Amino acid sequence: MRMRRDLAGFLLAILVAAAAKNCAAQAAARLPGELAWTIGYDPKTFDPAKVDDVDSETVRYLTAGVLLRYNRLTQAVEPRLAESWSLSPDGKTMTFHLRAGLKFSDGSALTSRDVVWSIRRVLLPATAAPVADEFVAPAGVRVDAPDASTVIVHLPQRVVGIGKVFDEIAIEPAERPSEGRVTSGPFFVADYQRSQSVRLRRNPYYALRDASGAALPRASGVRLDIVENPEQQIRLFQRGESDLIDRLPPDIYELLRQKAPGTVRDLGPSLNTEQMWFNQAPASPLPSWEKTWFQSQVFRVAVSQAIHRDDIARVVYLGHATPAYSFVSPANRAWYDRALTAPRTDAAAARASLQRAGFRYQGTQLIDAAGHPVKFSILTNAGNDERLKMATLIQQDLAAVGMQVNVVTLDFPALIERLMHTQDYEACLLGLENVDADPNEMMNVWRSSSPNHQWNPSEKTPATAWEAEIDKEMDLQATSTKDAVRKTAVDRVQQIVAEEEPFIYLVYPNALVAISPRVEGAQPAVIEPGLWWNIEDLRLRGAR
Amino acid sequence: MKLTFSLLRSLARALALVMLVMIGSTLLVRLAPGYLSDAREMDARYGNTVRAELAEEGARSRSVPQMFAQEIKGWLHGDAGVSRQFGVPAAELIEPRLAVTGGLLLRSLLLGWGFALTAALVAATRRRARLLWQAPATLLLAIPTAAMATLCLLAGSGGPVLVMALLIAARDFKFLSRMLRRAWLEPHLLQARAQGIRMRRMLTMYIAPALGAQLAALAGLSLVTALSALVPVEVLFDVPGLGSLAWNAAMNRDLPVLLAVTLLMALAVTSSGMLGGQTTQGERA
Amino acid sequence: MRIRLAPVWLLVALALGASVMVALPGASYAHQDREHLLAEASLQHPAGTDAMGRDRLVRVSAALLLSLAGAMAASVLTTAAAAVIGGAAAFAPRGVAWLVMVVCDVFLALPWLFLLMMVRSALPLQASPAHSAVVTFLVLAALGWPACARAVYRGGLELKCAGWMLQARASGLRRIQLVRQALPNLLPLLLPQFLVCVPAFVIAEANLGALGLGIGEPLPSWGGMLLELDNSALLFRTQWVYFPVALLILVLLLLEAIPVEA
Repeated sequence: MRMRRDLAGFLLAILVAAAAKNCAAQAAARLPGELAWTIGYDPKTFDPAKVDDVDSETVRYLTAGVLLRYNRLTQAVEPRLAESWSLSPDGKTMTFHLRAGLKFSDGSALTSRDVVWSIRRVLLPATAAPVADEFVAPAGVRVDAPDASTVIVHLPQRVVGIGKVFDEIAIEPAERPSEGRVTSGPFFVADYQRSQSVRLRRNPYYALRDASGAALPRASGVRLDIVENPEQQIRLFQRGESDLIDRLPPDIYELLRQKAPGTVRDLGPSLNTEQMWFNQAPASPLPSWEKTWFQSQVFRVAVSQAIHRDDIARVVYLGHATPAYSFVSPANRAWYDRALTAPRTDAAAARASLQRAGFRYQGTQLIDAAGHPVKFSILTNAGNDERLKMATLIQQDLAAVGMQVNVVTLDFPALIERLMHTQDYEACLLGLENVDADPNEMMNVWRSSSPNHQWNPSEKTPATAWEAEIDKEMDLQATSTKDAVRKTAVDRVQQIVAEEEPFIYLVYPNALVAISPRVEGAQPAVIEPGLWWNIEDLRLRGAR
Repeated sequence: MKLTFSLLRSLARALALVMLVMIGSTLLVRLAPGYLSDAREMDARYGNTVRAELAEEGARSRSVPQMFAQEIKGWLHGDAGVSRQFGVPAAELIEPRLAVTGGLLLRSLLLGWGFALTAALVAATRRRARLLWQAPATLLLAIPTAAMATLCLLAGSGGPVLVMALLIAARDFKFLSRMLRRAWLEPHLLQARAQGIRMRRMLTMYIAPALGAQLAALAGLSLVTALSALVPVEVLFDVPGLGSLAWNAAMNRDLPVLLAVTLLMALAVTSSGMLGGQTTQGERA
Repeated sequence: MRIRLAPVWLLVALALGASVMVALPGASYAHQDREHLLAEASLQHPAGTDAMGRDRLVRVSAALLLSLAGAMAASVLTTAAAAVIGGAAAFAPRGVAWLVMVVCDVFLALPWLFLLMMVRSALPLQASPAHSAVVTFLVLAALGWPACARAVYRGGLELKCAGWMLQARASGLRRIQLVRQALPNLLPLLLPQFLVCVPAFVIAEANLGALGLGIGEPLPSWGGMLLELDNSALLFRTQWVYFPVALLILVLLLLEAIPVEA
């Protein structure tokens, strides 16, 4: 009998062992010379004109042949399929001269006809291409091809940074869009296994060559594994099945720094900001006294003064973040305003100014002039560890000036519904990602009539004098042709925002990346896609 | 005659279930916050396009009966409606994942039952140290699935099947060990043991038949356990199965996909229930 | 059913100890000691601090009282609901039983995630963390019963055909009396259900944090501390992250040891 029981135990052990062998999903085998990294979700579309999510954008960036490329490191616009390009002095006529002998990845010739067709397709309302909005008035744009290698684009009005817009327009074969299967870019889509991987293969006819005349891209292909769990992403990287990781969380950065030294890099402050703001919309269902608090500049500044941004950078980001007081990051050297003055952390000053503004203390609790205790909630999105920690730190910081804060995490659709549709929230903590160094990109955040004017969306007329002034300065920077005028206008907006604090900026998180030592040619930049913006130059060490 | 009647009854039951689940899910998803919002609305580049998409969806889903009619139409059409996220028929998304999830479920159920039965038998027949046997099962129940997944990744071995099997085993073990112990201590088994009847004979002749119905009920319960563990396990291990699809659909309020997956799960649950029910039905008749 | 006293006393001692830890002057589960992040054990912090510099021992103690009370109450409710519904269905007329089982199956299949989202949106944003914790555990209890109810129903049917039950029926016992006699015999199903639900609810509460429900900051949530185990970066930085899970296992084993069966 006893032996039988031992046998049963033994059997159990065998079962466990057998199951353990049955390993987790492994990445597909790597082809020679193929780069690999992970993306979080399935790309929603492979049609380069219809891209409206980050993962599709990654595929488009790697496959699309573009006339111009925005160099993420130098922040200059460089010709790609175009050999040269020019913009008329009034900023309304662009002329592109194509390279000679351009071909698509299937070997067919690429002429100005394909370019005209591709640009027109993007502009058509029926395509609903997000990039069309960047032309400001897409309906008025005319595209002509005087000969087989020249394309002229006539704009109805001047558009700031128009060159960068062409970084997002893929040139496809006229009349036969292929969803990335036939491209004029460095790679084309070779295989897609839903929820598993996207495989891109090198375009043998790609026009670009390096200084020594060797054909680009250097890598034979790219495999994008679709992996949602960040832990899994790290493990794939450590096992050598993935070569790059973008946007490392700070704690994982520290872990990799110890476990795989030499693979991680801190690129310094990114262009992104983390901020919190109060709901100032008059139409929100909040009680009237809360609206009065949130619309009061003194209140917002006091909150800002009570927050210890240094602690956020140190506790939440383990030192990999920089305290923020403006929407322009110090990484953005051209636009960062060094002369900016903003209220600094000072809880005593916050208490004093609140009391001057009619608030008083009952014990440690702050109450307003009408006797309402100052209590509010901060919303943030669920699943973001950093934001939850920031909100918890702020909770304690604000308790020190007598404000009671409730932290609530919601899933994104529910959160967005409150922010954009019902306005049923008090304060929110989120980040803003800047894909471009030029502040013109933030036009729809600052213009008071925009639905993305978060603290009070879609205002019919500016609700306050300072919002009117921001509108004016933003319009000025969008229309002026002089860089100095634009810089002064943006500096002024930065100063107004720092004084009025509609957004209370918290930190600029640093750009943290991991690059496998096998990868050659990486020049990480802080502007997206910072790791593979120079995909043509990336290759695996040792691979031909 | 009796057979046709019972078949008809099962069919009616399945149909009622499908209708109720369909109505319930449509209502739940439509009324949940965020049906008509999208994280990309905050993105300056995509905001306008996304708002246009949402407006279209808003017009389409103004009335729940209308939505419901559209779902039914999709099902009659055979493609289960068009996915809101990916713009392809839901059936196309589900088909390749069925086999993946089916395999995962089957293997982990078998393995889990293997674990649980072996451990429960050993535990039931030992007079002492019952708590010692409970400890590993308790340990497994106390660790969140996400943590197990991370531990597996760190250890470099073990995968979705193991984690799910262990979860099922831990739960079932709690039930099985109690049932077996009770059976083991029945007077007739005491007598049998005293007479030295072999273990295998006792199991097949006395214990299994006595516990038949309860075991069948337990099987249904473990399927429910497995189904509820499916989503976290698949998401954490990046298994391209129905669970991760359902999670993705839920987070993006993709009603057609979600509905299709929910119905599949409902059918799985109800058929397991009927399977377990057959024996008792028989005894009653 | 007899009860072993030793584990009961141990549990009481644990709860008392935890209460003392929380009530000690100077002990605060919310205070962030930002100079000592993830500190190792010291006189000031006997079990170290968490990633935000909060005393781990005080937090675990408070969470023990809070989460355990919530999870156990929810488990009792859900087990009782399963027993009542499953038992009633087994002894009710066939039509009613059929209906109850269909409802059970529908319940099991519906995507309740969305109901939880609705609960959150119906709850005011300023609802205190304790308030939302109570609501969360109630919702969990309300959603946990169907699987077990089905098993109880089957067990009940089985009992109905047992010899002593036939005899009882033949001798004219009323339905309600029959149910009362049957319930103790369903214990092998109900007890494990209760024991399985406790840790499941502790963890589920933490998972619901993703939907804005559950025990909010700064209140400590035991489930939240268990979920820290899925962060490999944290696992490498301190051993103390295993402390909450060890304590949970101890509590569960003590619960397990209370009833003397067979």
